Amino acid sequence: MQKCIPVDRLARPDDWIVVRSRQAREIRDEQGMDARPLPFDEEALRARLHGIYTGELQAMEAAGRTLFDFPDAPWEFQLDMARQVWDESRHAEIFQRLVEYMGAKPGEYVETEILWRCTQADDPAARVAGINRGLEGLACDVFDQLIRIAQRNGDEVIERAVDYVLADEITHVRMGSKWMRKLTEGDPDRLARAQAFQEMVDEVFNFRGGRRAQEDIAVDDGLILTIAREARLLAGFSEEELQRLIESTRKSSAY
Amino acid sequence: MADLGFRENVMGPQPIGKIVEQPPEVREAADHFIHALMRGDIDAAKAMTEPQAYDDLKTLAAAIAPERHDKIEYIGGARIARHFFLKVRLPGTPPVKFQFRLGQNPAGEWTMREANDLTGRRSAWSR
Repeated sequence: MQKCIPVDRLARPDDWIVVRSRQAREIRDEQGMDARPLPFDEEALRARLHGIYTGELQAMEAAGRTLFDFPDAPWEFQLDMARQVWDESRHAEIFQRLVEYMGAKPGEYVETEILWRCTQADDPAARVAGINRGLEGLACDVFDQLIRIAQRNGDEVIERAVDYVLADEITHVRMGSKWMRKLTEGDPDRLARAQAFQEMVDEVFNFRGGRRAQEDIAVDDGLILTIAREARLLAGFSEEELQRLIESTRKSSAY
Repeated sequence: MADLGFRENVMGPQPIGKIVEQPPEVREAADHFIHALMRGDIDAAKAMTEPQAYDDLKTLAAAIAPERHDKIEYIGGARIARHFFLKVRLPGTPPVKFQFRLGQNPAGEWTMREANDLTGRRSAWSR
């Protein structure tokens, strides 16, 4: 069976609409809106929660595909991926409930495919580097921001729900760090390729300067997505890796 | 286990957000557009299409044989801000499935911005 399946092979109900991320950005541009509106008003928050909900679905599918695509990987690796499928399915359910909490329903907004596109690596070390360290690291940043916004709004439901999910994401990143290193032991070239894949994913999600290092912001009013330093350190990112990510955001903001 | 099908039976926080309904004018515009295609009246359909989507309209018109369909089934809809995607099936021979996006122009009219013929395609993917 084919590895690295394209997005149109993902099972979705017939009433769903999936578009390219670039297309979604262009449609917002057409309406004179920011490409990535900040979740401060009710509608933007609803849309953001829906985006995370579909992201969790794709994360669940990605962990399942990793399990399926690499049958020769160590049994402990497969067990970790299976656990992650279970975690992501709970996350999808939590965000589905948050979408409903905000007065919307699953499928009310389009789903985009960019997360799935960032899972397409045919080496398990690169796959976990891109998904668990790149995408799940991004999830740490996004959830950290969402928690701060919820705190500012006095919304304990969103604050606590997202905090529970963030705790899992930290373990997923840690899993990625562990397996990226373990699978590439004694093979520095393979490690370099895995890290390069992760850096490509990080670069995609710097949002052309939309993600920044905390120390590069004069006043943190929650308007800018920052690198969740504390969560990432808990997840096993080294100071050196965080510094590399910060340099990458600085490069992106110079677009 | 709580019944997820009925909101009132679900334990935990109840919705706080305002439910956003699709404006009725969107469905009216969609009906108007689809009926024009079903009649084979390309000019009427083109009148409510933005120039950027003329090629999409041509493709769609070629897929819908005139006077062969008498029923519209709306099977899906999603939005990006104030633009609405509608996914439609026209039963008949041959059945057709397609989707299009409507947005409001400065004059307040709902116009078609893009369309895809999805007949015979799997999944929700729109390209």
